Amino acid sequence: MNNPSLRPLTQLVNLEQPLTLEQYINEGGYQGAQKALHECSPAEVLTIIKDSGLKGRGGAGFPTGMKWSFVPMFDDDDPNKPDNKYLVANADEMEPGTFKDRLLLEGTPHQLVEAMIIGGYTLGANKAYIFLRGEYHVAAQRLEQAIEQAYAANWLGSNIQGTGYHLDLYVHTSAGRYICGEETALINALEGRRAIPRAKPPFPQVSGLFGKPTIVNNVETLCNLPHILRNGVDWYKNISPESDAGTKIYGACGRIKNPGLWELPFGATIREVLYDHGGGMLDGLKLRGLLPGGASTDFLMPEHLDTPMDYESIGKAGSRLGTGGLIVLDDKNCPVAMVLNLLQFFAQESCGWCTPCRDGTPWAVEVLTRIEQGKGNVKDLDTLANLCDFMWLGKTHCALAPGAVEPLKSALRYFHEDFEQHIDQGCCPYHDVTKVGG
Amino acid sequence: MSDTDNKVTVYIDDVPYQVNKENNLLAGVLSQKLNLPYFCWHPSMGSVGACRQCAVTQYQDENDTRGRLVMACTTPVSDGMRISLQDSESSKFREQVIGAMMTNHPHDCPVCAEGGECHLQDMTVMTGHSVRDYQGSKRTFTNQNLGDLVGHEMNRCITCYRCVRFYKDYAGGKDFGVYGSRNQVYFGRQRDGNLESEFSGNLIEVCPTGVFTNKVFSSHYTRKWDLQSAPSICAHCSIGCNTSIGERHGSVRRVMNRYNSDINGYFLCDRGRFGIGFVNGQQRIRTTKGINQLSPEKLTSLDVAKSLSHYSGKKFIAIGSARASLEANFYLKNLVGKECFSAGLSIKQMAMAAQHQQLLSQYKPPSLTEIEQSDFIFIIAEDITQTASRMALSVRQALRNASIEKAATIGIPSWQDSAVRTLGGNLVSPLFSLQSTATKLDDVTEQSLLLTIDEIENCLQVLANYVVDKNESTLSAISDTQQTFIKAFIKAYSSAKKPLILSGWSSQSAGVFNGIRQLMSALNNVESHTPNNKQSNSQVGVQNNAENAVKETRLAIMPSQSNSIGLLSLIDDKTLATEQVLTALIEKQADGLIVLEHELTHFTEQELQDISISAEILIVLDHSESKISQIADIVLPVAAVSEGDGHYVNYQGQVQRYHQVHAPILPIQDSWRWLDLLANTLYPNVSYTVSNAKKESKKLHCLADFNQHLLTHFKHWPLDETTPESSTARQTHRATGRTSQSANISVHEPKVTQSYDQSLSFSMEGAKAHATAEMPFTWAPGWNSNQSIIQFQQEVSGELTQKTSNVYLNFNSAEHLISSWPVNDNHERVVSINGQTPLTFSQKTPWYLSDWQANFNPEFQLMAEDNRLFVSPSYAKQQGWNKGQAVKVSFVAGSGILPQIASLFYDENLSDNHAYGTLTGLEHNINNLDISLSEATNDESIDYQQCLKNNQQAARDNKASILESLKSMDQLIPIRMVSGGLDDA
Repeated sequence: MNNPSLRPLTQLVNLEQPLTLEQYINEGGYQGAQKALHECSPAEVLTIIKDSGLKGRGGAGFPTGMKWSFVPMFDDDDPNKPDNKYLVANADEMEPGTFKDRLLLEGTPHQLVEAMIIGGYTLGANKAYIFLRGEYHVAAQRLEQAIEQAYAANWLGSNIQGTGYHLDLYVHTSAGRYICGEETALINALEGRRAIPRAKPPFPQVSGLFGKPTIVNNVETLCNLPHILRNGVDWYKNISPESDAGTKIYGACGRIKNPGLWELPFGATIREVLYDHGGGMLDGLKLRGLLPGGASTDFLMPEHLDTPMDYESIGKAGSRLGTGGLIVLDDKNCPVAMVLNLLQFFAQESCGWCTPCRDGTPWAVEVLTRIEQGKGNVKDLDTLANLCDFMWLGKTHCALAPGAVEPLKSALRYFHEDFEQHIDQGCCPYHDVTKVGG
Repeated sequence: MSDTDNKVTVYIDDVPYQVNKENNLLAGVLSQKLNLPYFCWHPSMGSVGACRQCAVTQYQDENDTRGRLVMACTTPVSDGMRISLQDSESSKFREQVIGAMMTNHPHDCPVCAEGGECHLQDMTVMTGHSVRDYQGSKRTFTNQNLGDLVGHEMNRCITCYRCVRFYKDYAGGKDFGVYGSRNQVYFGRQRDGNLESEFSGNLIEVCPTGVFTNKVFSSHYTRKWDLQSAPSICAHCSIGCNTSIGERHGSVRRVMNRYNSDINGYFLCDRGRFGIGFVNGQQRIRTTKGINQLSPEKLTSLDVAKSLSHYSGKKFIAIGSARASLEANFYLKNLVGKECFSAGLSIKQMAMAAQHQQLLSQYKPPSLTEIEQSDFIFIIAEDITQTASRMALSVRQALRNASIEKAATIGIPSWQDSAVRTLGGNLVSPLFSLQSTATKLDDVTEQSLLLTIDEIENCLQVLANYVVDKNESTLSAISDTQQTFIKAFIKAYSSAKKPLILSGWSSQSAGVFNGIRQLMSALNNVESHTPNNKQSNSQVGVQNNAENAVKETRLAIMPSQSNSIGLLSLIDDKTLATEQVLTALIEKQADGLIVLEHELTHFTEQELQDISISAEILIVLDHSESKISQIADIVLPVAAVSEGDGHYVNYQGQVQRYHQVHAPILPIQDSWRWLDLLANTLYPNVSYTVSNAKKESKKLHCLADFNQHLLTHFKHWPLDETTPESSTARQTHRATGRTSQSANISVHEPKVTQSYDQSLSFSMEGAKAHATAEMPFTWAPGWNSNQSIIQFQQEVSGELTQKTSNVYLNFNSAEHLISSWPVNDNHERVVSINGQTPLTFSQKTPWYLSDWQANFNPEFQLMAEDNRLFVSPSYAKQQGWNKGQAVKVSFVAGSGILPQIASLFYDENLSDNHAYGTLTGLEHNINNLDISLSEATNDESIDYQQCLKNNQQAARDNKASILESLKSMDQLIPIRMVSGGLDDA
């Protein structure tokens, strides 16, 4: 196409009735896969992905090409060559305030199927899985349908489009744990084990699913592949020359006028997302703060509104881009209650493996509950600060607890007065009932 | 200086230490005897990084002042690395970890059986955590009934995952797991019920706190610091696991693992841990029978002499025992002379003994540690999971070598437990087995065949021949499945570096041993020629030459009892089989029979009656009632393993000492003491008896004296004990209540038992427990639990700081051995039983029943399931029978075995002529028996069910009354005495 869209991932989204294989192909679908399979060797595809600058959209922002290059490549006659490799799409979208993958899964399932073909071909994987959040029933049904159509049209199965490449694609619906978003916990769950992050090394690229080299990528990340292949690296890098490559699906929720999702060139500012697209705060409410990329990121404040939403800029502002889903806090909602709510989620979703997370998150919930109920004391703030320190990076087995610490720690910094008011007044200042009754 | 090859310098708080680079940093720190708390790491199970307790600060170099926190257990050691244990960052974090664990811990130490030897207590103190910040409510769980052995108190759990890692990952158990998530993680079974693993008792020691406790110990409880302990050797199989037995007030309370780097390491099987209950059992013989006691006060040696004087100079035949000490057996044999000595083995078993002696003289059996290093294992006709469970645990570890090797190729060290398991997946080193029953290792075998013993013998012959001639036609004599097995075997064997063959006495077949001999010689001879063969196969040759080692196939054969090999060493050409003993008595070639600690269960009722009638006098020395003791004229009560001293010889030929834990209540005394009294009276002309010893103005006060006595009189006596310079205290220095325990009766402090034994004192005074390699218990400052053993190892999981001097019996000097005993073992098949074509039956004895002594434990009796018989589904179909139905098992007429009722089960791997199962009415060492099956009548089933119920009730009653009698004993002032024999002052 001469004029590829600036919304490559979402332009074909149809939540009512996603495109069938035929319709998808008519709209230019499977051209990326066609190009990869027919015109490129796997190594060449990998080079394209590396050159594109694509970064993982799951939250960590790790360069995808680099991640894939850790998969050991073997000559065909190498005795150590594993009998299989796996590609897994991480569709276990459970980050609070994040719903971007759902849009892609429900709105354009063939895009992911195509991406899996490209990815699988690149890695030399003959089996691929879509690890899907259990509650995404509609997505499950639509993916199954798309996969069925792809098999029928020989885009899956043996000798795909006469290239000799073989790929089987399965949808696995999760039993539902947030920790399955962590790739090695996801692999354990896929193997039928307890969803607990694995010790690394070995990294999944070397020994992942069933001990074989495995790549796990976020749905949004993978969905970039068809477009990069089809439109080229230059096009991709030029979408947002000043920022990270390509587009990003940003979201916003909270008490704003127009909550939703928007695919924008990477590096749109928070203000653009929140005000130009999200319509700003509901009438009568003021912006108090926001979490830029899901529940496990640090609060940013109104003064950060002009920060571009890319990995580096958000990082400099003191938070993480995460999933790019904004959660907005207004001035009529209690920040302590919000943090408590988040911590309850993390305590609930801790896998129970390492002590800081397993016993630290419920402890934080216990303290926050008391503060929120007006039963806290000044010492509790020290306890919370200690707990933040206790659960910080390097002390835990995976990133869940440090993720839980991020909103808590930043709230203690930015909303310190609110915490103190709860303690001083013996009630929640935002809670009219408590005020009257107290 | 090979010792220092693997050592690098690590700076710990700026002090340089030499640390083993092949282990992780935590092990390195602990090896320096520095204190660093930990939970999830276990020296034998490696690291998983779950608890985060062992955090230390690691610095880039000497200029780095900030450093970063690392978990010592998951950090490799590297040369020049700098860490700190004392910095405030890591100290604070370690305290926080305990603080977080304690948020849900119930702090019920005063009522917890673990209190006083709790790793969690120790670690809490070590981190300095003393004030509780958490104000919320605590999580609670429902506990499970895990059977009569292991207690469950989940509220105490700190979620270190050690239990499940031991039970499932390490020991291969299937009925225990981890459930739930977040701070509601539950360790237990899916539902209440007996733990099925033979290693469940290790949960008690593996658990860092009181979630899993010893139920038997708890029912008659005392704190660790009030126990009086002694080093002992397990009396329940021939592995010779080192144990520590604890007693109080004259009753044995419990058995704990005693670390031995070559044998049991950190783990015992449940028979070893809980089997000790027999010493407190109601079947114990506590008084003499047939001896006239003059004084009502006590029995004297004069009484014994008088009662026996009538038989002086008579000719006695004596039967020794595989569960009596080496001393007693040796003395007995020399007393009656080798022409009159029997090992209590049948003709058939004597043929096995002859083969076993031969094998021991040719091949030195590997230790358990060596077994764990094997990369190819072949198990023949022995269900080691039930007969020698601890060895099966080592076999499981050996099977991991394939994944450890694979991990090493990408630089993952073996101690990274979870990483190695992730990488290895289901990869296991090859295990082959030929068995006559299903076994618990079947799930990890590469190939296993279920065959009758005759078929196994045949298959071994063919295998041995094929190894030598590599001729396809050799294989034509066996079935296709056996051919496939042999080919797979040869293929896997050829790439093995440390192959191992295991077998045992369960086959009851000298033919199997003969087959093993041929196979061993074939494999080892072929290997010695391989350098030539390898020239032609350059690729393989280069690889193997580089390793520069000739492949040696090792062999271990498991006899059934603790001193079987000790007894085996005494068997020679003249030794009588039990059939010959019977004939000799009936034909009046001998006047009397002395039976030393042998239950002789393979004698039929008729044969026992013959003995009773023919022998002028039957003298039985034993600790518990048996059929033979009931018909004896004279019964002398002997010390059980906890009450006496002696040596057992394990399957490798290693001689190990067990020590008296507490002085027995007279007239119970060591067998060798009784034998000495018998010698005195019955053999007045023998020069080395006690009366002559007295003439030499020597008293045989203790085992060391006795050993010295034997050494001066017999050139073949293998032991030369040196008396230690100081004696070690059996009590901890914290023992409490010395005067108050009997204050309601007398306020005078009772005198402590005096011991002639120089090595251990019945007191809290004496050398520290770790002064010798034979530690009565293990304790170190700040380390009250069994984990303190690390303080006494040269390095973690290495040898003890006090080295053991291993003594092995020598089977190479051929003069004592049987020169030939025919392997005339052709199993004469019965044509029919009750008009039916017979099946060949193999007994599958569960671990808790496969030892006569352990059988007396009510806890084990309660575990007994109903009789089960496994047949092939096609056989059942031919008979028109269904799974689960009751069948009647009949035996050859004249065998003297009564028919048994059993439930029918299927095993797909059985052939139609073969059955196995557990028939509790049969002796446990039964194999290759002809049986016929018929449908059980309704009445027979009902009777059988009633019988089962009665047995269960009897076991429950037995358990209750043992406990009652033990507790009533506690009310008495402990009897203090001199720990010698009958003539104690």
